[in-house]
Order: sequence, then structure tokens, then C-alpha cells
Amino acid sequence: MTLPRRLEQSSASILQKIKESLDRLNEKMEVMIEIQKHGQLRQVQDGVPDVLDVMTLLSLPDHLRKTAVTLCKLDQATADDVAEQTKRARAVESGYLNQLVLMGYVKKERRGRKAYFYVDREREEKEASKTWEKS
Amino acid sequence: MGKIVAIHSYKGGTGKTLLAVNLAALYANQGKGVCLLDLDFRAPSLQAVFKVHNTEYWLNDYLNGVCEIKRTLTDFSQTHARRGKLLVGFANPSTEAIREMTAKDRKWEMKALGRLLSLKTSLLNDMQLDFVIFDTSPGLQYSSINAIVSSDVALVVSGMDISDIKGTQRMIDELYDLFEKKTGLIMNKVFADILQSKTHRADLAKQLMNSYNLPLMEMIPCFCDILKTGGTTVFANENPEHPFIKTLDRVAAQVENL
Repeated sequence: MTLPRRLEQSSASILQKIKESLDRLNEKMEVMIEIQKHGQLRQVQDGVPDVLDVMTLLSLPDHLRKTAVTLCKLDQATADDVAEQTKRARAVESGYLNQLVLMGYVKKERRGRKAYFYVDREREEKEASKTWEKS
Repeated sequence: MGKIVAIHSYKGGTGKTLLAVNLAALYANQGKGVCLLDLDFRAPSLQAVFKVHNTEYWLNDYLNGVCEIKRTLTDFSQTHARRGKLLVGFANPSTEAIREMTAKDRKWEMKALGRLLSLKTSLLNDMQLDFVIFDTSPGLQYSSINAIVSSDVALVVSGMDISDIKGTQRMIDELYDLFEKKTGLIMNKVFADILQSKTHRADLAKQLMNSYNLPLMEMIPCFCDILKTGGTTVFANENPEHPFIKTLDRVAAQVENL
């Protein structure tokens, strides 16, 4: 006996939600492991993000600098994209990227099942490129 | 895929601009597409070399988000290249612009880094250029570190002065190594007497390589006839057989293979 179509669709959607929750949980655990490994991190104060300029890049520990420089070069990327460039494991890069998010240097946006990381260079940048396209 | 080359030094007056201009002209004369950018916003120089008094847009405008990179470039292929393409972007030399550039905050510097990094797409991918050469500010400051981070290869130029050697050494250890940059070292204005003797030359090269822990690309002697021109001519075009240009030919080949 086959399940009615509606029931089939709703189970698929529940499974999808469970999968996404597990992904998020997994990332949070990676961050916790990283924090335990490298000690307490500077947390974002009052929700104000910090600036990822070259002097900050210089002050980061080596393992995070490599991730941060790679992300700067890629503009926006998934942990997989960064791992491909740095030749380190995806789980490692995911941990480092989430650590940079916690430190307020990097932003994270979830699109469907994928998490995208980027350095927030603000709206003006996008607006400027729109103006160029028009001119 | 082309390459972005940053020419940098610890101290000023090491010959960065002379090397940058002639390296750009050399590559262009080989038939390559080259873009030379003056990123020394504290002491702009290229406008004097190329005798440009005004331009619609400066590189300052590009970094300020006012225009696309293309709008800042002037084509010197007809006058300064025998075969390829030579595009040059200038830094605004007015005191007002220099003052404005030195007062930028961290947030602006972060955006400037983003804009320099995007040159890989706009100049190398979209415009299909073979080389982008950055003539940078000396020392450790935002504009030069931004340029180094955005480049594929960094060429460090040092003179024989002990303060320059020590400073360059520290800069390599504390900056280039941290960014895992492909780096080539060029000693410039070396006493010609030392370079004439093979033994002395080898001893000096060994000594320098040990202290820098980096391969020494070239040792360029001090040429009085180059100094005499006062930076008014592009030597690679005016005097292509000059030993200085022959040395730069070797540098150009090594950069391609880095």
C-alpha cells in the first residue's frame, strides 16, 4: 500500500528539517571543539562586528589567518570552497569559519542546505557596483 | 591565468618605481598585456615618469568606490611598448589627496583590500592581462600590506645599507611568511666592484641568502647612467641593451616561473 501523496510530501519536509537541524548542531559542536582547543575567544561585543582588515589578519593565529585570507580572496564561500583552497579538511575549515563568525569578523548566511560565509564589506559596495553597471 | 606582482621594500628610495616601470615595459615589449598601478598613495611617482598632469579618474577614486578600475587606466601601448599592451593607473599626487588617503580608517582599508583583491577578476580574467604590477609604498603600512595580500608574487627590493637589510629581514619573517607569499629578493644598487669579482659576488650572495632565508633573485649594480636620467626615461625602451635591462630580463623570467 502506498502512502497518500500529501503524507509523502510532509514526511520528506520533516526529514529535510531534521537534516538541517543536525547540520546546524554539527557546526555548533565544531565551534565548541575549536573553542576548547584554542581557549576562550573574544566574543562580538554588543552585536557590533569587528573589521577584518590586514592588521587584524596579521594578529590572528596562523590557522585562522589562512582561513580568513582565503575567504577574503573568495569573497563568499562555503566551508567546502575554503577547504578546497587550503587543502585542509572541510570540518576543520567549518570550525575555523564559525570561530571567525563568533569573533565578529565574518558573517554567515544560510541558503537552503548550504551555509555561506563572507566578509561584510557593506551595502555601499553593492550599490557602487550597480552604479557602475548603469554607467 | 596572469599574475599580480607587488614590488615592495622596507625603506624608500630602493628603486621600486624604476624596477616596476621597466619590468612592466619589458613584459609589454615581449608582447604581453600589462597593467602597472601606482599604489604609493603617500608619495605618488608614476604620473611624473609618464608625464601625466591630470586624468579623469585616479586609483584613489577606484579604492573610494567611485569608478571601475578600467576608468583609471591610461593606455601607453603606442608610446611605451613595442608590441604588447601597457596600461597605467596613477595615484593622485595632490597634497589634499595624499592627506585624505593617510587619514582613512580601518573599515575603509578593509574595503580597499576587497577592491584590490577583485582586480584578479577584473584585470586578469575579464581583461585577459598577463601581468598586473603594483608599485607600493615602502614599509609596513595599510596600503603596502593590502597590496602584498592581493598579489600572487611579491618582489622585495633592498639596498646594501645595514638598516635596510635588517628591516627587510624582519619584514620577511613577520609579514611575508605569515601570508605564505611567494617572494623574490632583489638587491639593488650593489657596489659594482663587489659584483665584478666572481668570488666576492658568490660570498655576498651566500651571506645575503643566509640572513634572509630566501632565494636571492638578482644583485643589481649601481648604474650612474641610470641615476643621471633622473627617472625621466623608460630604460627598457630607450636602452634595451643596457646591463640593467639584461638583469631585469632575468628577473622577468624568474617571476614567470615562480
